[in-house]
Amino acid sequence: MKIRAGYVTLAVFFAAAFSPVFAQTSSEKVIVMNPRGMKPPIRQIPMAERPATLEGKTIYIVDTRFPRTRKFVEALVETLAERYPETDWILKDKFGGYMDDDPKLWADTKENAHGAIVTVGH
Amino acid sequence: MGVPTVPVITSRFQELVTSIAFKRGIPNMRMVYTPHPVTDRLSALCRKYLEGKDPITGEPILEEIVSGLTLPLSAEDKGTGFLPRTPRRRFLEPDTVENLENYFYENNLTDGLPIVLPTEARVTEMLKATSHSPDEVVGRMAASTPHEAWEYTVEMVAVNAVMSGAKPEYFPVILAIASAGATSLVSSTSSYARMAVFNGPIIEELGMNAGIGAMGPFNRANSTIGRCWTLISKNLGGSGTPGETYMGSQGNPLNYGNLCFPEREEGLPAGWDPLHVQKGFNRSESVVSIFGGWSFSDIAWFTPMPVHEVIQGWLEHFFSTTVSGATIIMDPTVAADVSDAGFKTKKSFADYLAENTGTPAWLYWQTRKEELEKAEDGVEPYASYLKLGEKGVIPISRFTENIVIGTPVNPSVNFPRSSTPIEIIVTGGGTNTYWSGSDFHHAVSVSIDKWR
Repeated sequence: MKIRAGYVTLAVFFAAAFSPVFAQTSSEKVIVMNPRGMKPPIRQIPMAERPATLEGKTIYIVDTRFPRTRKFVEALVETLAERYPETDWILKDKFGGYMDDDPKLWADTKENAHGAIVTVGH
Repeated sequence: MGVPTVPVITSRFQELVTSIAFKRGIPNMRMVYTPHPVTDRLSALCRKYLEGKDPITGEPILEEIVSGLTLPLSAEDKGTGFLPRTPRRRFLEPDTVENLENYFYENNLTDGLPIVLPTEARVTEMLKATSHSPDEVVGRMAASTPHEAWEYTVEMVAVNAVMSGAKPEYFPVILAIASAGATSLVSSTSSYARMAVFNGPIIEELGMNAGIGAMGPFNRANSTIGRCWTLISKNLGGSGTPGETYMGSQGNPLNYGNLCFPEREEGLPAGWDPLHVQKGFNRSESVVSIFGGWSFSDIAWFTPMPVHEVIQGWLEHFFSTTVSGATIIMDPTVAADVSDAGFKTKKSFADYLAENTGTPAWLYWQTRKEELEKAEDGVEPYASYLKLGEKGVIPISRFTENIVIGTPVNPSVNFPRSSTPIEIIVTGGGTNTYWSGSDFHHAVSVSIDKWR
């Protein structure tokens, strides 16, 4: 009887020692693979040189046409014009919805304005 | 643009715009923040905001705008070349199981649920289920158009497949979804969701559930493939970091499993083509069709009214974020009733719905300022529409075009569009006459066989 009990104990010991569950102790280190994808490289775009003052300059205020923000854009034009009357603040509507690009407006801005304020959402 | 520029943004989006400015190559962009939100705020309140302080920097807003346009640039502002990014390592640092599990949670690499740790042995086993090379680029994915697109290989998709609990035999399906380049976690504030519908022999091969509870949590393939899509979106598609690449205000519970289910092809009435055949594939091909949308209603209406009229009535008054796309998911019992009512193809029923579904007047006039002016000037038919009153129904359908939000970015995939903005899909166990109405719209269907 004692011999049979001994075999059972031994079997349990070996099963525990070599089963995947028990073989890995909580302090043992494992190696796993990285789940992240590949981010693209980012080329820095140098910022445009700033004028020393906005006096006598033209600044476009571009409304990107986020829904239901027109009052805010108009208030922005008004408050800037009141505070800085020596600057020409011109409201410009971007083409299409707020997600659409407008290369024509960007070309116009580069040619005819000294700077831009672009309102974005929300 | 090439001229000094200052974006004015509401403060809730600081993290997002800072991140996008960096990814677009202008890490020091001079942003000015206002209190959030500014939508629908009265002019007086907008002025008060603008005459006050930037809630992020504490600086007066108007002065900050002028400073942003005039202060001299630093050497860093004028920098060129590549911005530093941490190089991707194939393996994470070795650690204990407990620490690694915590690492995955703490670094936003999971959906908040336990994952299977992606050991190399498990990933190798997953890779055996496809003939494609581990290094092959599967696609590119972004949180939405303004965000940067990340690229990923077959091996990287396999890592996420292991994490989701998918069996290796599911891997070609997961690769097909990944190849579409459509994130399931679109960055929009609108809490967008995704749906994947499977067709073809793959349904039986994988033992997918198209019967009782097809859209519920009752089948390993349905569940883990759907879950994997969210892990792929987060980890391979640069999506799903709240505040930075995900702005869904309330979130969407459908994102856990992304409504992944097979069409019950044997439950289709005679003459009704399976979805993949409608999209131009052969019946013998295995295909996954990807949809986008927001909401989902499970409906039965136990009255003598024919079900096709109930669906039409529901669609007429259905209101959600979108106004131009819908998918009706029918139990086979409902499909049989609709077919018996005379609709011998899916298209004939979809066309009936599009042609006979009007627009509630209150909704119509809110989006048609020009037509309202004509109506007030007595111009027909708008003048007659106006006479119907706010509770009337204008006989013009909202379901006339298929819009796709969160368009997949992978240029190698051809994107067939639906011939109708209303899709009909059949699935379920036939236990009762239920159907589900949703605002989901078809984006793309891709071959699974290509990824075997």
